[in-house]
Amino acid sequence: MSVGFIGAGQLAHALVKGFTAAGVIAAHRVTASSPDTDLPTVTGLRKMGVNFTTSNKETTHKSDVLFLAVKPHIIPFVLDEIGPDIEDRHLIVSCAAGVTISSIEKLMASVGFCTEVEEDLIDAVTGLSGSGPAYAFTALDALADGGVKMGLPRRLAVRLGAQALLGAAKMLLDSEQHPGQLKDNVCSPGGATIHALHFLESGGFRSLLINAVEASCIRTRELQFLADQEKISPAAIKKTTLDKVMQQPGVSDTSVGTKSRVNLFNNMSGIKKP
Amino acid sequence: MGVVVTHSNEEVVQHSRLVFLAVKPHLVSTVLNGISKHVTPQHILVSIAAGVTLETLEQLLPSRSCVIRMMPNLPCMLQEGAVLLACGAAASQEVGSMLKNLLSPCGLVEVGPEAWIDAHTGLSGSGVAFAFVFAEALADGAVKMGMPSSLAHRIAAQTILGAGLLLRDTGKHPAQLRAEVCTPGGTTAYGLHALEKGGIRAATVDAVEAATERARELGRR
Repeated sequence: MSVGFIGAGQLAHALVKGFTAAGVIAAHRVTASSPDTDLPTVTGLRKMGVNFTTSNKETTHKSDVLFLAVKPHIIPFVLDEIGPDIEDRHLIVSCAAGVTISSIEKLMASVGFCTEVEEDLIDAVTGLSGSGPAYAFTALDALADGGVKMGLPRRLAVRLGAQALLGAAKMLLDSEQHPGQLKDNVCSPGGATIHALHFLESGGFRSLLINAVEASCIRTRELQFLADQEKISPAAIKKTTLDKVMQQPGVSDTSVGTKSRVNLFNNMSGIKKP
Repeated sequence: MGVVVTHSNEEVVQHSRLVFLAVKPHLVSTVLNGISKHVTPQHILVSIAAGVTLETLEQLLPSRSCVIRMMPNLPCMLQEGAVLLACGAAASQEVGSMLKNLLSPCGLVEVGPEAWIDAHTGLSGSGVAFAFVFAEALADGAVKMGMPSSLAHRIAAQTILGAGLLLRDTGKHPAQLRAEVCTPGGTTAYGLHALEKGGIRAATVDAVEAATERARELGRR
């Protein structure tokens, strides 16, 4: 089986890294294409031994399993370009929609947890686990700041914070207990942890996280909607970067959705949808 | 429990005068299309399907069918529920009262206009969960102050239960009851001040509003 990636950005890079590390496929059986050869991820992919090309058609010809790892609004143009080259043998996986099928599941399972959801839940999945690592990185950065403030060297603070979250996540995944119960288990009466949690609650910690997941989910839907509306001619697209898209005639700031319509700040008491 | 079980919806309708529709909302129209020809003006149909309006139900059934919408909440399982009934055009006051009596073992049963069903969902359907959040936070407060968690949780539950019983059975206004617990310069006065500073009243109103709006939205779909 040979694998191809249309798009050679973060997503392609992450997936190839995982597949090859797990030994599920050899790098030389992977082809990736992108019009932009300057991306650091392109260098990374080449270093891993992936065959790189600027031709999407070449990737399509060389692959049995083809991942569409481009931004959602580029998908229609890509499909337009490679459409004539798609044959029965091809298995197309659009990462923008995230639909998995059973022969792909094993491949995906090699990079972590794989499950199938209804397509209309994909945006919620993006909001939670797609963006989730970013929430965790932000939290870890701040936790490390707290450690440093209280006297720990930075590197140690980062490692301790990361390990704490890693351990907590593992405990939760391995446990039948509710996270609320696990929280209680670590909060000794009158102790340090419950004092600290009180601060988190005072700051509206829980609602901030809910807001974040909701904002990411809503924005994902907006972007997909905009992608569906886009009327740019495929022939006019030379590069798939946003600024190039914006230079095309007929494309304006609002039509490409660079200004978010997600507005969570106009009302302390709730989320107003756009 | 001795109930006759069948695979046939028609059989249930043919053998019963009072029929409860206890299927998920998205199945209601299929089910009603199936049984519609067996429904007579003598039947009483009670729907528990969330978000399915009386208008929808009446349109799927023969004209002048007696339809009632019922919105229960979780504690019905302990016979301490709060139920609101809304009667359709062909359901007389008599039928409403009969059903109210029949359901009284569920807890509190009231009859009201359909417009109140969504607010009832926000208040009492979701309200139960709001109480759970409050209970967890009460316990967390006690844990912070040195009490072991499981004891704190048991006491928090009993506190809310006791308060609820006082509210229900004394008939006094909650503000009155609050005043009776507040000795001048005492612990409760200080604690309540912290609650008010935290905006708990506005947050609670917001919660009921958000849940009600969502119920309305789901009902429109």
